[in-house]
Amino acid sequence: MDSTAGASGKRIFIFSVLVLVSIIMLFPFYFMIERSFQASNQFRVHAGGFSLVSWQILFKTLPIFRQLINSTIVTLCAILIILGVGTSAGYAFSKLNYPGAKAVFYLVVGSMMVPMQSIIIPEFVNLAGLHMVNHLYSAILVYGALGIPFGTFLLTSFYRSIPNDIMDAGVVDGASYYGIYRRIMLPMATPALITVAVLQFIQIWDDLLVGLLFLQTPQSRTITVGLATLQSSHITQIPVLMGGSLISALPAALLYLIFQRYIVSGLTLGMTK
Amino acid sequence: MRIAGRNPMSHRHVAGIVFTLPLLVVWFLLLILPIGQTIYHSLTEWNGIKSSWIGLTTYKNLLGDETFWRVLANNGILLLSVPFAVLIPLIIAFLLNEKVPGWRVFRTIFFLPATVSWVVIGMVSMQFFIGEGVLNNILKTIGLGALHQNMLASANQAIIPLALTFVYSQVGPNTLILLTGMATISPEIYGAAKIEGAGFWTLIWRITVPLLRRFILFSLTITLIAAFTALFSLIYVMTSGGPNYGTTTLEFFIYQRAFNLGQFGYGATLGVVLLLVMIIVSVIQFRFVRFTED
Repeated sequence: MDSTAGASGKRIFIFSVLVLVSIIMLFPFYFMIERSFQASNQFRVHAGGFSLVSWQILFKTLPIFRQLINSTIVTLCAILIILGVGTSAGYAFSKLNYPGAKAVFYLVVGSMMVPMQSIIIPEFVNLAGLHMVNHLYSAILVYGALGIPFGTFLLTSFYRSIPNDIMDAGVVDGASYYGIYRRIMLPMATPALITVAVLQFIQIWDDLLVGLLFLQTPQSRTITVGLATLQSSHITQIPVLMGGSLISALPAALLYLIFQRYIVSGLTLGMTK
Repeated sequence: MRIAGRNPMSHRHVAGIVFTLPLLVVWFLLLILPIGQTIYHSLTEWNGIKSSWIGLTTYKNLLGDETFWRVLANNGILLLSVPFAVLIPLIIAFLLNEKVPGWRVFRTIFFLPATVSWVVIGMVSMQFFIGEGVLNNILKTIGLGALHQNMLASANQAIIPLALTFVYSQVGPNTLILLTGMATISPEIYGAAKIEGAGFWTLIWRITVPLLRRFILFSLTITLIAAFTALFSLIYVMTSGGPNYGTTTLEFFIYQRAFNLGQFGYGATLGVVLLLVMIIVSVIQFRFVRFTED
């Protein structure tokens, strides 16, 4: 009896700690919602007043719909590049072992550790030389390239777990290598495709540096870049910024809530394979 | 190779190379070529248009540049926060693993901030730490108003809120990774230890940590990489590297030199330094993985 009382006491304690951690982790969301419905942050630290003024200012100062659309286009197109290039190369690395495939694979995966900041200067100069800056496709290409090493690694690991027999059966049936890729390999990889897509979506949607450099006009910026530049101008009221933050945070947060189980597998696949 | 008769292997090889080509083109033009250019231009004076060869001059100047050392020291301070960014998630994952009612909901909530841009997290964090911010209000309310200060305005203290926000941001991913690792440990091991009267810390240090070595190492590695290469947005939003280089890290320094001051050659040299740091981190990590797997 005594030990069960102790055990349930312990569980209540653990539950309370987890509730406390939840409050801390939810604080940014609470703060954004609470502040965005205030008129002004000045002299009103404890203000309880409810106002939609800040939301009106937000939609007037920030081309928010335009920037949400930009974010969506950039993120989705970059993901398409990563998946397209990553699945075909992953298929080649794991199922069409040509001489040197392994070496190429290790080189590509090894480039995962190259920090964005170490290549961003020539990257910028190159694309600026091609007059691509301030066009969405410059950011799409850079995000695509940056996501390729990780995406290829994850997709190749996945294809390796598919038995070679399936591949060989397709060959015996007279299917072309493209046919096998298109009709067998690509559909089978759906869970891995979703994992890569969700992880990259969060990464690209939330990124600042690439967008900041390659998309410098308000009309071409992504929402994350739009917010950061609005904030650094130091003239925008905090409630307005919090409203914008909330809007920018919702898409990736919702995507996570829908596809969470793919994130768990994606985060750890990097180490188990 | 039973199918070799119908489809010569060379056929398969050609297909393999064709399927790899799109990757190679994008990868080479947008990742490998710029690395080469960074290394080349680290040996030049460069403003993006004109460049002139100056050899190792910039590297030599770096060694005597006080700002550069200040920047490296900031990176060093952030490194000190890395163990906390793994230890705190380890404890949280351990508690989650007790599977009290609703643990799945908690797990979902804990990762939620990690889906939000560090631009947003940084803005909220700034409102938390500034002079008239949330933290100082809490202090005032509980009668500790004397501790009131604006850490973000101090060159020596501004890095503290930055490091705390960084640790906060790493809690979600690391908790998830470590919890996944804990799922691989059989509950009987804990059961046996509990019967022998092992307490909370004993369980963590004697059972969880040793059995989770690879997962902990993985968490440490991604946190280390993030500390060196992922803080740009946080710094940009919270402090812009200031006051007086108090929060400028290597990655932010590259941006400042190249894109604020137009010193592209200097920025490239810093880029090579950052690349070297990452190579060292990877080699150490690789050694460790081999060591723990032996």
